[in-house]
Amino acid sequence: MAMKKRRYALVIDSRKCINCKACAVACKAENEVPIGNFRNWINEEHQGEYPKLRIDFEPEQCHHCEHPSCVRVCPTGASWQRKDGVVLVAEDDCIGCRYCMIACPYDARYFHEESGTVHKCTFCTHRIDGGVLPACVETCPSKVRVFGDLEDPASRIHELLSTRRHHVKEPQTGNGPQLYYLV
Amino acid sequence: MGTTRMDRRLFLKAAGATAGAATTLQVGCLSYFKKGRSAAADNREVPTTCELCPNKCSAIAVVEKGVVKKLNPNPENPKSRDMLCARGNAAIKQVYDPDRLKQPMIRVGARGEGKWKAVSWDEAFDFAAKKLAEVKAKHGPEGTLWSSTEGFQEVFFKNLGLAFGSPNLVRHPTLCLASVNLAYSATFGTVPSFDLLNSKFVIMSGANRFESIITPDTMDLIGGVMERKAKLVYLDPRFTVTAAKADEWYPIKPGTDLAFILAMIHVIIKENRHSKDFVAAYTTGFDQLAEHVKPYTPEWAEKETEIPAKDIVRIAREFSDAAPRALYYAGRRSSWYQNDFQMRRAQAILNAIVGNWDQVGGMVPNAKLPKGEFLFMPWDEPKAPRVDEIDKHFPLAAKGDGVYLKLRENVLSGKPYPVKAWMVYKQDPMNAMPDQAKTLKMIEGMDFIGVIDVQMSDMAWYADVVFPESTYLERTDPVEVMAGIWPAVVYRQQVVKPIHDTKPNLEIVQGLARRLGLADYFDYTIEQWVEAEFKELPIPLAAEHMKKHGVWAASGQPSYGKTLTPDHRFVTKTGKIELFSERLQEAGADPLPVYSAPVPPPSDRFRLILGRVGYFTHANQTNNVWLNEHMKENDLWINPKPAERLGIRSGSIVQVTSSVGTVKLKARVTEEIRPDCVFMLHGFGKKSKMQSLVYNVGASDAVLLETAWDKVSGNAAFHETFVKVANA
Repeated sequence: MAMKKRRYALVIDSRKCINCKACAVACKAENEVPIGNFRNWINEEHQGEYPKLRIDFEPEQCHHCEHPSCVRVCPTGASWQRKDGVVLVAEDDCIGCRYCMIACPYDARYFHEESGTVHKCTFCTHRIDGGVLPACVETCPSKVRVFGDLEDPASRIHELLSTRRHHVKEPQTGNGPQLYYLV
Repeated sequence: MGTTRMDRRLFLKAAGATAGAATTLQVGCLSYFKKGRSAAADNREVPTTCELCPNKCSAIAVVEKGVVKKLNPNPENPKSRDMLCARGNAAIKQVYDPDRLKQPMIRVGARGEGKWKAVSWDEAFDFAAKKLAEVKAKHGPEGTLWSSTEGFQEVFFKNLGLAFGSPNLVRHPTLCLASVNLAYSATFGTVPSFDLLNSKFVIMSGANRFESIITPDTMDLIGGVMERKAKLVYLDPRFTVTAAKADEWYPIKPGTDLAFILAMIHVIIKENRHSKDFVAAYTTGFDQLAEHVKPYTPEWAEKETEIPAKDIVRIAREFSDAAPRALYYAGRRSSWYQNDFQMRRAQAILNAIVGNWDQVGGMVPNAKLPKGEFLFMPWDEPKAPRVDEIDKHFPLAAKGDGVYLKLRENVLSGKPYPVKAWMVYKQDPMNAMPDQAKTLKMIEGMDFIGVIDVQMSDMAWYADVVFPESTYLERTDPVEVMAGIWPAVVYRQQVVKPIHDTKPNLEIVQGLARRLGLADYFDYTIEQWVEAEFKELPIPLAAEHMKKHGVWAASGQPSYGKTLTPDHRFVTKTGKIELFSERLQEAGADPLPVYSAPVPPPSDRFRLILGRVGYFTHANQTNNVWLNEHMKENDLWINPKPAERLGIRSGSIVQVTSSVGTVKLKARVTEEIRPDCVFMLHGFGKKSKMQSLVYNVGASDAVLLETAWDKVSGNAAFHETFVKVANA
């Protein structure tokens, strides 16, 4: 049976983010992320002078790029990409050289002291492969993140990207990031 | 992509499409276990109810080899739906916290010295029972004080205090939202819910819903503001996350919100924008109100609030245009000034005159559901009057909750009678009550203090005996009804067995009761109690359903308008919504909200304002490692103008002094606060060394806060303290 082509991506509506950290704590539990490390986080930008002020929040994590530089630089092939676009690290092959950490334009990887390998967001493959949303997407109180398959024209992310203005971060790197931020 | 559930946006869209734009948005009863989602072979998934705050969100605990690995939201709950906040997710760390209480302990050093002896449960019970009996013999049962906060097992603790014969039970509301509850009750005879999911126009005074606590209301409101284009007007001396998301933010002069609301009422009545039919049919006292608000013009309010008169007029017009889908949201953030009750009353009155009562997008009286009751042996009513003299000083306040600050004053003075033993469940008066030095003095005066908690709170640190309670994931609790627009029943069942030598509160209460000769009153198990409650739930196969799902929603369809019938009697003296309140007048309070201007801080001082951040909210969460790593200490917010004058830079240590205490903490020089205020976050600067992440880190607001309360409700007034700030 031929598998349907899939391309997982995340659409982020930053305006709805209230910096509540539910995503970060859910990820911490789901993926046993060590204290002090994060697979996802929220950027903050504060602007203006009292009383004309502005705060912007922007959730971020691995962008699961189309042409991931982390995969290109990995000397052992431990950093790899699934057919559905998810970028992963094969722990058994990782030698902890951390080239990938330097190559990532988004600083989305961390070195796991205990295992001596590099860890990162997996889009919760263990959940999505069973049809369950990634932990950060599911728990979010204001539903900032929309996860889905770009190849599925009926998906919510497909609809959002075809009707709403959006941008990606650091497009000049040529990495082809797959986190889409609604404008 | 086979995601198991619809994204809420999609769902709302679908609901809107079928029901039509004019009717309500619905919440659905989605199912957790749909296609694809199944536990691995050695995993169990147990539905339960979160306990990290009082909102009763439903969660599913994923248990792997006997260890709780993950908490997922349970979408069957019609309020919390598919969300679990940072705290909810971090509840796992409450169980596996190396700092948590692991066995009963008796103090061996001086109080607060931190010298403890681990003891058996028998020793701990015998010791506490002996001490309680001694105090009873000397001072009567009223010589004992029983403090607790919200919790599904709180009922057992309160019952022990009552069965023991003490009238002195004191609960958290007067450190929280008693003024809101009393103000809405005085007006509508009930405290309604706010239909944020369907509202078009929301005004908030400091109810910092996007930052200070994350609840289903937060979720409904952010959806409303960002998706359905509801308008949010927000008043706060500080530029909070809620301010950042609001359509309009006004850095109102602290303590003047009542002037803003009175001026809104003035405009609405003057321009004939109130709902005449609603006012005529359901309210009483409108003519007196109209007369009363005549002097409260927008121009007058501008001088008080620093909000331009033209904006007040415009907001009043927009609010009344949007009614009944308009709300002045009460929220939790209450009890900041000594006029707090009257400020909340004015909100209630404003909401009432535009008729946004019991309608979609307005205030809605809570629908309730019946549940069974376990019939236990009744005890005699305590004979002595309450030590806080609530009847005399706060005749309208909730008797069962007591009044915290007045109670402390009376205990310290020994009048009307001495109180010499203090039992505490789950509450931390050391941080929850203003003026920590006074609380310490009260502690010093006690012959005995016993604390039941999951962790060594600052209160527990000063106790004589500490009883370790099992965390919520380790115990089964009574069934709770979530009254509301979408009523539901929630159940908290044991997910894993206690990992330390801890007990659920009921068993702690029973251990004490047995030694106090009160065993007969507590002659049941939690299973029997819960079975009795299941019996009268309107749920087919209730026990089976609740164990399997953890929650039962009455219907995805809310019901509005039940009280909007000509013969409906509101639970007030007149049976109407009371704009003018004779009951208040009889109790010696203003029958209509009268404005009095707050005293401004002297030129060398700042008003200290407080707040919370949603990943802690309560002081008992700051030592949770998964939350603490997002904020390791609190700091003092100060505007750059005064900071420059005082030579204060971000990161430098400042000394903050009020009339009752001094603390040191780091400064944060920020544009995001008025120049006449400084701000600090609640929950740091702990005295307990078993709160290792926050012991002596940052500072506790309780040290600085002076004793002040709202005159009608007795609610602590937390924003009435002025402080001096200087480089340390």
